[in-house]
Amino acid sequence: MTCSEVERVLPELVDGGSDSAFPADFESHLKSCPACSDLVSDLKLIASEARNLAESEEPAPRVWVRIAAQLREEGLIRDADTRPVLVPASPQRRWTSTAWWLAPVAAAVLAAGAYVVSHKPVPQVATHVSAPAVTTPVPQNSAPKSPDNAAKPPVGASTAQPVRATHPPAPAPKSAKPPDVVASAAPPIAEPEASPEDQQFLSVVSTRAPSLRATYENQLQRVNANIREVQAYLDRYPGDLDARQQLMDAYQQKALLYQIALDRIQ
Amino acid sequence: MVVLQQARIDYTTTVLTVVLVTCLSAASLAETKKEYSYTVGPKANISVETQYGAISVKPGSGNQVLVTATFKSDNVEVDQQQNGNRIEIASHLLRGKDAQTGHIDYELLIPPDATINLRSCSGPLSVERLQGDLTLEGTDAVVDIRNVENGHVHVRTMRGPVTLTDVRNGHVEIDSISGEIHLKAVTGPLVQARSGSGKIFYDGDFGSDGNYKFTTHTGDIEALVPADVSAAFRAHSVLGRVRHDFPLQPRHSRFREEAGRSFMGTSGLATSEVLLRSFSGKIRLKQR
Amino acid sequence: MTDPKQRITEAEAIEQAKQGHEAAFETLYHLHKRRVYSLCLRMVSNPAQAEDLAQEAFLQLFRKIGTFRGESAFSTWLHRMTVNVVLMQLRKKGLPVVSLEETLESEDEAPRKEFGTQDAKLTSSIDRLQLQRAIDRLPPGYRTVFVLHDVEGFEHNEIAQIVGCSIGNSKSQLHKARLKLRDFLKFMRAEKAKTG
Repeated sequence: MTCSEVERVLPELVDGGSDSAFPADFESHLKSCPACSDLVSDLKLIASEARNLAESEEPAPRVWVRIAAQLREEGLIRDADTRPVLVPASPQRRWTSTAWWLAPVAAAVLAAGAYVVSHKPVPQVATHVSAPAVTTPVPQNSAPKSPDNAAKPPVGASTAQPVRATHPPAPAPKSAKPPDVVASAAPPIAEPEASPEDQQFLSVVSTRAPSLRATYENQLQRVNANIREVQAYLDRYPGDLDARQQLMDAYQQKALLYQIALDRIQ
Repeated sequence: MVVLQQARIDYTTTVLTVVLVTCLSAASLAETKKEYSYTVGPKANISVETQYGAISVKPGSGNQVLVTATFKSDNVEVDQQQNGNRIEIASHLLRGKDAQTGHIDYELLIPPDATINLRSCSGPLSVERLQGDLTLEGTDAVVDIRNVENGHVHVRTMRGPVTLTDVRNGHVEIDSISGEIHLKAVTGPLVQARSGSGKIFYDGDFGSDGNYKFTTHTGDIEALVPADVSAAFRAHSVLGRVRHDFPLQPRHSRFREEAGRSFMGTSGLATSEVLLRSFSGKIRLKQR
Repeated sequence: MTDPKQRITEAEAIEQAKQGHEAAFETLYHLHKRRVYSLCLRMVSNPAQAEDLAQEAFLQLFRKIGTFRGESAFSTWLHRMTVNVVLMQLRKKGLPVVSLEETLESEDEAPRKEFGTQDAKLTSSIDRLQLQRAIDRLPPGYRTVFVLHDVEGFEHNEIAQIVGCSIGNSKSQLHKARLKLRDFLKFMRAEKAKTG
């Protein structure tokens, strides 16, 4: 067999780095031709090393955050909703009573957001961000995928713990999650209760403007979900300055909602 | 035969009843208009508030403020007063009102330099060809502002979409929880738009050596600019995709770029500053 | 899945996910995220894009989870879905999924020049990072077949069906991809040796 004949049959023969037997004349050529022998050896090595890449990369936790958000939006996540029943609407009254407390509450929401945002520790992002609790092994050779990702937390770090907000105000009035049956899954996380301010807010809206209650409640859920989402992200990446600013913006949106309501029901 | 005649009588009675009820309903919903006229000095301050109803403001002539209120029922009144250069007009809802019976539409003709404050739950709110400061607020109101110059523009909505067209030379600040924000030919020293889940769309040249900041939480941000735009751009989405469709000159900055999640660069002389930020929305800078 | 306990666990998670339990979805995600994401990253060489593709693959899977009856391995189902998502993206961008050229190409493609000369061969192990970088440099068509076959373990008949080419073309593309990778790896090694 000549070198060019080897070249012609190689695509059929070198497959998956397997030790499948080569034809006799092919084998004997390899024994006598170091170049072809090296080539075949290299190609088999490449094929076998490639297998190790199959599960070598870890996606950033934000991928799950986005998937979960989309599943919720599409209603595919259907955990039981046992929100507390709000005070039923009393008979209609004129919109002249004051809800003076809403103004300081709106200010308090903003101040709480500012406090949370400014008092979070800000470790150096490049090298000292500590990974959250790791429950799956970190690949030995994990490395940032590109120089642009150097500032992000190490991609090899992973956790099975779902993302949850832990800072006030985070009032998603849902029940605790059902206990996990999967051994390797995350521990159950209870959704935070609706904050007293939010409950009072919706109670007053129910009383003063029952026709708008559903609208305000829906918007309140949106802004609270936004706050929780960013807070959860910041819990993992506390050094992300842009996310920190986004959290401030999310609190400002909530304050805006309170202010709009205040203007309506005064 | 007797049965047939009875059926015919019953049918006729029913038709007559329906006609009568319709006429009565129409009478109760008949529109009535009232006009109010005020004389003001330069830079008057005019406020109009209605829970249900449209408010439309256009420039009038001279130093007159002319208000036309269209009532859909008599379950609502207009409270109005003038204190010097300040005019306040508000819908006063009586018992049993709803969006239909409590509805008043306002049309205003005002001096172009007047300051205007509008508030309506349902809207729409529209303002055109003015030069004073504008403050508009609506829960679900559609807000439309066009051909406004030199004045500051402040808009707040909960879900109502906001459209600004040809607004120049003033501060522009728009906040919405979930309404979409469309800005076409909007320039000024400060143009700031924030929406939680609504999309922000900008079509213009980011001119006037201004400072432009667009922020969303989940809403997408899209900017359509001419080839000769002169601005320094910075865009970042924490979770969403970010891209620009035309080349930018590199820009030295303390902020780190992250491929697919942020970009920064300049175009032309970079006389304006443009900051596009989102938590999970997509951001796109396109060339017209 | 080879671990019976894990298999049962996944099955339970699937049933729970059909009921809409978030923890079950998350379990399934964590069980398969590395494979899905790695596949996407190998195919598109862009981390941000790979994240989007991985997200889309999982979303498509979760949307259809109610129809999964266990007739095939869940991971196989997910795997195929991921490949389809990625290939659809490549096609949308107008990138070649696989070259239609079946014959060996021009001389500057080389393998021909490899024969008869004795370059230093690759040593017994390859730096994984260098291999990743080399794969990123492959033309999209070569990369697709290489990733599907050598990294993900699809057979040529499966690849032919997935990407719409012949088995012979698949084998040919794979061979060319490996040759190119060999060149890249040698070049990187030489560069590294120069800089010490």
